[in-house]
Amino acid sequence: MTRALDLLVRQCARMCALVGGLLLVGIMLMTCASVIGRNLLERTLVGDFEATGLACGVAIAMFMPWCQLRRGHILVDFFTARASLSTVAWLDRCGALLLALCLAGLAWRSTAGGLNAYANFSTSMLLSVPHWWVYAGMVPPLVLTALIGVFQAVWPNAFSIASSGATA
Amino acid sequence: MSLAAALGLGPAALALIIFGLMLVLMALRAPIAISMAIAGALGYAAQAGWAPLLSFLNDQAFARFASYDLSVIPLFILMGHFATQGGLSKALFAFASVLMAPFKGGLAMAAVLASAAFGSICGSSVATAATITSVALPEMQRHGYSGRLSTGALAAGGTLGILIPPSVPLVIYAILAEQNIAKLFAAAVVPGVIAMLGYMVAIAIYVRLRPEHAPQVTADANRDRMTRALVAGVVPIAIVFSVVFCGIYGGWFTPNEGAAIGAACTLLAAVAKRELTFDKLAQAFYATAEATAMIFLIFIGADLMNSALALTQLPNQLAGLVQGWGWAPVTVVIAMLLFYMVLGAVMDELSMLLLTIPIFFPIVNGMDFGMPQESVAIWFGILVLMTVGFGMLAPPVGLNVYVVNSMTKDTPIAESYRGVMPFLISDALRMAAVICFPGIALGLVRFVS
Repeated sequence: MTRALDLLVRQCARMCALVGGLLLVGIMLMTCASVIGRNLLERTLVGDFEATGLACGVAIAMFMPWCQLRRGHILVDFFTARASLSTVAWLDRCGALLLALCLAGLAWRSTAGGLNAYANFSTSMLLSVPHWWVYAGMVPPLVLTALIGVFQAVWPNAFSIASSGATA
Repeated sequence: MSLAAALGLGPAALALIIFGLMLVLMALRAPIAISMAIAGALGYAAQAGWAPLLSFLNDQAFARFASYDLSVIPLFILMGHFATQGGLSKALFAFASVLMAPFKGGLAMAAVLASAAFGSICGSSVATAATITSVALPEMQRHGYSGRLSTGALAAGGTLGILIPPSVPLVIYAILAEQNIAKLFAAAVVPGVIAMLGYMVAIAIYVRLRPEHAPQVTADANRDRMTRALVAGVVPIAIVFSVVFCGIYGGWFTPNEGAAIGAACTLLAAVAKRELTFDKLAQAFYATAEATAMIFLIFIGADLMNSALALTQLPNQLAGLVQGWGWAPVTVVIAMLLFYMVLGAVMDELSMLLLTIPIFFPIVNGMDFGMPQESVAIWFGILVLMTVGFGMLAPPVGLNVYVVNSMTKDTPIAESYRGVMPFLISDALRMAAVICFPGIALGLVRFVS
């Protein structure tokens, strides 16, 4: 894997994680405003629940690429503890490929779901936010996650940063 | 005609094949979420066909990610990472170590105390263990504590976060069993405090039997240092905890909103300490991203798995089957907890909850324990969570032990597993107590309206 590609993908994943984090901070601030308004100023913020759910949807999808780049998904290493390093590396490449397959499938189906939502004019109840906006925010990071999985399957040393070592 | 029907497979055989495929994938190091997703998707397609699977998947990511109910999880995780990056833990441990200095094994007790306090604003037991380890382990090593005792105490201390609210596993149980989060939080408080005291007693007994593991530490308690630690670590955490839980139980806001308010308060506390640079803020976001994405991919995998298993009709039949055995209800609960301990030895606790609660909870709910159904649900939840904590410590795959051990350089993992033994004994005794006396968990719930 070329260094430029490595850097590009890594920066994209970082960006996604930061956007997701900022979305959570946005939810946090909005909820504070809503709670203060309701309890102290007797003003309710309409649709704060809805906005929280929808923003959260995009945020969580945005977290996916970084988690896979860091190989943060939990796996069982109990049965392969005695296997040779090369066997483990080979299994991890397969694992990354399976993950890429699943995430690509999820992205594909979410695209279909988003197109359905667009065609049916499905919106949220109170704020009338079109649901396809959320799908549109979710699909790109899911695709990026699938790509990261493919890179890790092809180049085992891709994004070789100290792994967080999530094992079960 | 479906593939499963064509092959003439009965529900039990199908469920076994699906479950077996998942275990094989897991054993071959595929991520657990992906193992569940693939086994579940194939099982679903084999029974219902491909087209229903594809349309089932259309809205799966949207339904799980963009859910108000589940938004509480990333927010509690964010709160914990603000606390981790905010530098509250160092002062907290300093205060706890002066407080515990008169006792033999005081530093290990201080680690447990600091973990409990940190767990009260951090929803993740792994994050609690890692945070307190980073400040406590160097101190313990400097004073000549053995790797066995120090890593054992730190790993055990981390599991206190599962019981002490807020707790992500607790929230997940509440969502799966459709129970009130505020009531479950209340139910977990007394068992959480008992757990903390039990760990301290375990340390006290251990250092009396094996004094070489914990040399006596002379306390350098000057009043100035105490005050500074109090203001820097204890007070902010106490304020955040009070705001969140007074707000929830005072009826000012819901637990979901409490997560956002708690995150905001923790952020404020970190900013007020002038510890939170932009770089650390970004680190908090990255850590939140990793923990959140891991949990939500497990949600997707478990959904597929559960749908496939539900199609086999086995979960429905299981309830009738268990009732047919004519076991006493408490025996059934104990059998389930033992099953969790066995399964927890090879599987991570969260996936285990997501897979089994939809199957086990209806069985428990349908039995007569001589208590109202809601009380049974809450009591069972606390028992399950204690088993989860046990699983995070127990060999061969205790996640907390791995995390703490990976932060030391010279302690073999086997030493750490020896170190958690006294705490596992304490866990087992506490579990037996809560099984015999459900009032330990249910006492406080009465005061929640």
